[in-house]
Formats: sequence, C-alpha cells, structure tokens
Amino acid sequence: MSTLMKTPIATLALGTLVLASSALVVPALVAPNEAVAERKGALDDVPAVRHRLLLVKKRFEVGLASESTINADFRHTLGAGLKLEFHASDLLSFGAVGIFGTSINTGLTDKLLSSLPEDDPSPTNTDAEPTPTQREFEAHLNSMPIHGAAYVGVTPWYGKLAAFGKFFVNFDFYFQGGIAFAQLKSDCNSQICDDSTPTGGLNPEGQVILPDNNPNDDPVLNEGFKAGLYLGGGIHVFLNDWIALDLTVRDYLFRDNPSGLDFDADLAVTEDDNRFLNHLFMGIGVSFLLPSDVKRTP
Amino acid sequence: MRRFNTLLSPTFFSSIFAAALITLWAPPVQTAHAQPGEEPEMTFDEDEADEDSEMTFDEEPEEGNEDLGDEDLGDEDPEPDPDEPEPELDPDGDSNAGGSAMADDVEKVAWQDIVVVVRKPFLKINRMELVPSWGVTMNDNIVRHFAFSAAFNYYLTDVLAVGLEGQYFVKSLREPFDLVARQARRLPTVNKYNFGAAINFHYIPIYGKFAVLDEHIISWETALTAGVGFTQSEVIPRDPVMQPFKNTLITPNVGASMRFFLNRFITVNLGIRDYVFVDKFEAASRTEPDGNLAMENADAALINNIMFQAGLSVWFPMSFEYTTFR
Repeated sequence: MSTLMKTPIATLALGTLVLASSALVVPALVAPNEAVAERKGALDDVPAVRHRLLLVKKRFEVGLASESTINADFRHTLGAGLKLEFHASDLLSFGAVGIFGTSINTGLTDKLLSSLPEDDPSPTNTDAEPTPTQREFEAHLNSMPIHGAAYVGVTPWYGKLAAFGKFFVNFDFYFQGGIAFAQLKSDCNSQICDDSTPTGGLNPEGQVILPDNNPNDDPVLNEGFKAGLYLGGGIHVFLNDWIALDLTVRDYLFRDNPSGLDFDADLAVTEDDNRFLNHLFMGIGVSFLLPSDVKRTP
Repeated sequence: MRRFNTLLSPTFFSSIFAAALITLWAPPVQTAHAQPGEEPEMTFDEDEADEDSEMTFDEEPEEGNEDLGDEDLGDEDPEPDPDEPEPELDPDGDSNAGGSAMADDVEKVAWQDIVVVVRKPFLKINRMELVPSWGVTMNDNIVRHFAFSAAFNYYLTDVLAVGLEGQYFVKSLREPFDLVARQARRLPTVNKYNFGAAINFHYIPIYGKFAVLDEHIISWETALTAGVGFTQSEVIPRDPVMQPFKNTLITPNVGASMRFFLNRFITVNLGIRDYVFVDKFEAASRTEPDGNLAMENADAALINNIMFQAGLSVWFPMSFEYTTFR
C-alpha cells in the first residue's frame, strides 16, 4: 500500500515545497536589513507601486482554456474548455473551469498493447492465463471526457516583464484551490466484462459462487462522476489591458483507478482498487477581462 | 575606456554643476526619493509613474543589457565619482526651494530635466555562480529520477554565461512499474541514470519585477539554457540473473529557468530542462546473461528526460559595485 499514495503525496509534497519555499523566500526577499529598517523615509508608508493598472480588480475573466495531462500513466487527456472567474478584489477571486477532453494512449500503453495477446489462448480456463488480452486491457482503461473545478483564487504577485528588450508586458502570478470534478468513462462491454460476481457470492438458487480470480473479465469500477480536491496556479501575461495569455498548472485530485484492473492484488476488481490520485495538467489559454476599461491605483 | 571618453560631454558637466550648486546652497529638503545610501529598487515606483501615468518599467536598455545602458548614457554623462554625494532635489522640481539668491542664476533643474536610469538591482557580469540544485523527472511514468546537481556558471555579460554542471541521480520506481507486472504480466524495460555532466550556455532574454501584496518588489529573470554533455545510464535487468550494463550517452540539453533575486549574492532558481539522448535498453528477447553481449544487442530509443529543477545560487564575488551614474 505504500505505493498507493506516492503520486499524490509526491505532488502535494512538491506543491508544499514550492509554497514553503515561497513563504521562506518572500520574507527573506522583503525583510529589510537592520540598517534599512532604522531609516524612516517618505516612502515608508506608501504602496510599492502607485498609478498601477488594476488589471483584474472588479473584472470578470472569460477564458478559452486548453490543457493536457503531464505524465499520465496509461492515457493522456487533451482538452479544451471555458474558464469563468470574477476578481472581487486585486487579491481574491472566485471562478470555475470546465474542460472537454479526448484521450490518447501513452507510449507505455501502446507498448503493452503490442505485446499482449489478441485473444485469450484458453478462454475456458481463466486460471491458466492471467494475462489480459489486448481488448481486455484496453477496455478497462478509462478516459476523462469532462473535468473541471470550482475554486477560490488569490493573485498575490503582479509585475512587469521585458522580453528581448523590446516587449514589455504586465503579468501576475495566481494560485487557486477548490473542488475538482470529473466524469470518467470506460468502454468495457458485457462480452469482455462478463463476470457479475468478481468476489464470489450466491446465485439466485442460493448456491455459492466462487470467485474466478480473474480480474480481466471483471466489470470496471473506474467510471462515473468523481469529486475531489483542486489545486492550481499560473501566470497571466497581459497582451493589453483586457487580453491575457494564461499559462497554468492544474492538479485535479480524486479517487481513480486508471488501468481499471486489480490494484490491491485480491484478484478482483473492486471499489478498493480506486485510490486518491492526482491528475496533473499543464495548460495554455486566452483570457478576456471585462469590462475592457482598466482603472489605476492612486 | 570608451565609456569614459564619450561620457565627458558638456551636458553632463552642466547637470553636475547645477546639481552641485543646489546641494551646496539649498538647505536639505526631505524628498520622496530614495534616502542617501539607499539602494533604489527597479523603477516600479512613483517617480516614473508620475511621469507617464504608467506603472512604468524602464524601456531603456539598462536592465536588459548593462553595457548597452552604459553606451546610451555614455553619450552624455561622464562617470561620476562613486564617493561623491548625490544631489538632493526638490521632488517638485523647484530648484529655488532653499530660497537662495544663487538659485536665480542656476538653470532650473527638475526631475524631468534629469535623465535618470535606475540601476539594475543585481549585476552579474564577471561574476561566478555556484548552483546546488535538486531535480525530478517529469515525463517518465515507470521510473522517476531525483537529481542532485551542482553547476558553476561564469557570466561573460549580464545576459550571457557559460558553465559546467554535474548531476547525480537517484531512481525511484513508480506505481505503473508494479502495475504492469501484476496486471498485464509484463516486465517493463527500465534504465536508471547514474550521473551526468554538461557544459552549458545561458542567455537571459526576459527580466521582470513583481510586487508581493502591493508592498514589496522582487526582481526576477528568465534564462534560456542549451548545452551538451554526457549521461551514464544503467540497465535494470528484468531477470536479476542477467548482468546489467552501462551506457555512456552524449546528452544535449535545452531548458528555461526563472531566477528570483534574494540579495546581492543569493538567488533562487526554478526551471525545466530537457536532457536528450539515445539510450540503449535491454533487448526484449534477451537471453544472454553477459552484460557485454547484451549491450551489443541492445535496443536503442530516443529519450527526452525532462526534469523540473530547483536550486539556490550563490554568487562570487558576493557583492558588486555599480559603475554607472545613479
């Protein structure tokens, strides 16, 4: 079981590390040294930036989003969708993102499929050949046609950057946290997933049915609606006052069993095979901030 | 030397002369500008904002290229004496603030009359950077490698550096390694990486600054990196009876990183690097236990080992002196 949580923990640990680093770095950056702290100047009580363009405050953000999984195990998800967000203040925002996706096999899956048998060599003797056929393996894999999140966002950092000494643009860093959701789908039909009692049971006559110990014909339990935790972050690069390039990293964490087969080695596909996994995406999008007029700080 | 020659212009002398007169004759005026001895932040402040009503970011070349900035200034401004006190000016631009009679004879000096190029917060030219860092594989769903690295870079200019890096890898098999064996009855072919080294070139095309919670300003920049080196990989035999074998692989790399400036000698780096090589894997049909024979029959594949890297840079010398007019 120790491997169960490796992936989400690693990601959470990485996120925590980044946040912790930021927490350490920012005070270190901004903490005045002793000499400076003793000086009291006319600028001590004024904001760091005046006459600043309020590029997000009290504005609606409507974005076209696209994203792709990073390092998915069996199937990559490529998707596009819509992002809606209201920036209640310069710092705080509320929003949601919804993505429609399509799936493609990873290189690992393609290699596995090419090495698996096309047909079960001994279909009547399931104990003799526990190797799944190509159809069994692929049918158990799930895809993610819809996913998204509702979140609270903070935009603590904003600034300007210059590229190649010619292009000067505003940008901000934002972080998001909230609730993730996903609709998972798998295509295991009754011809493949024909074992109605993966863990055994009783038939209508009350007779005991022993488990066949073959998870390859078990019904899939990795489809349907899932809800979980959402963590995200990204950068707005403002092309002008109301159009921004949106570069994001989003992590949707929810219970899943991407392979759809037996995970806990009990030789049956059960609900216990689902575990809390992260689904990490990188995305790019274009955001429109409305109204298009932008205000300034004093 | 060119800078010293071209900076000796009459305009600069007249400016210095006027400023010096103001300093000598006008009583001290508490201004909204930086206090004496205080290092200015990048021009993200009210002075520029007052000028063009924009949250200004100097589009003058001083930050992207210190040398270029020097040249532009050099046509008009001579090199000042670093020990010379800086003039204090009335932020309203009124040189008569002190009420001195001499001020009537002095050409009016205001902020907008003086070309101020705020100095870069961090100079890198002719400095060395020692970068201990940590990295993790981003794109391998069978085996994850953690890299513990050290790099040494020397900055030829403020935007161009050459350096060396060395890496030591630690492998960690991921969940699919076990799943593939148990669920699909297939043993993945996996290589681990032992160590690597490279010579790299760094170019810094993007720089910026950002404010944290509207209180503090932090400078950062983006560096592009390209280099070439080698990586040693080692086959993890599917059957423990078989001997492993090692490969030494020519490894070009490309990447991008962000650097955040903490102080004059420490920066934090975050980046992504793609190490590209043609690795040799244990053949799917391997039968020979001997590692050398297996290497001759190995299967080759192009690998992109994309790593996220985080590091802390220590810069030497640990401080620097500005050579341009403040």
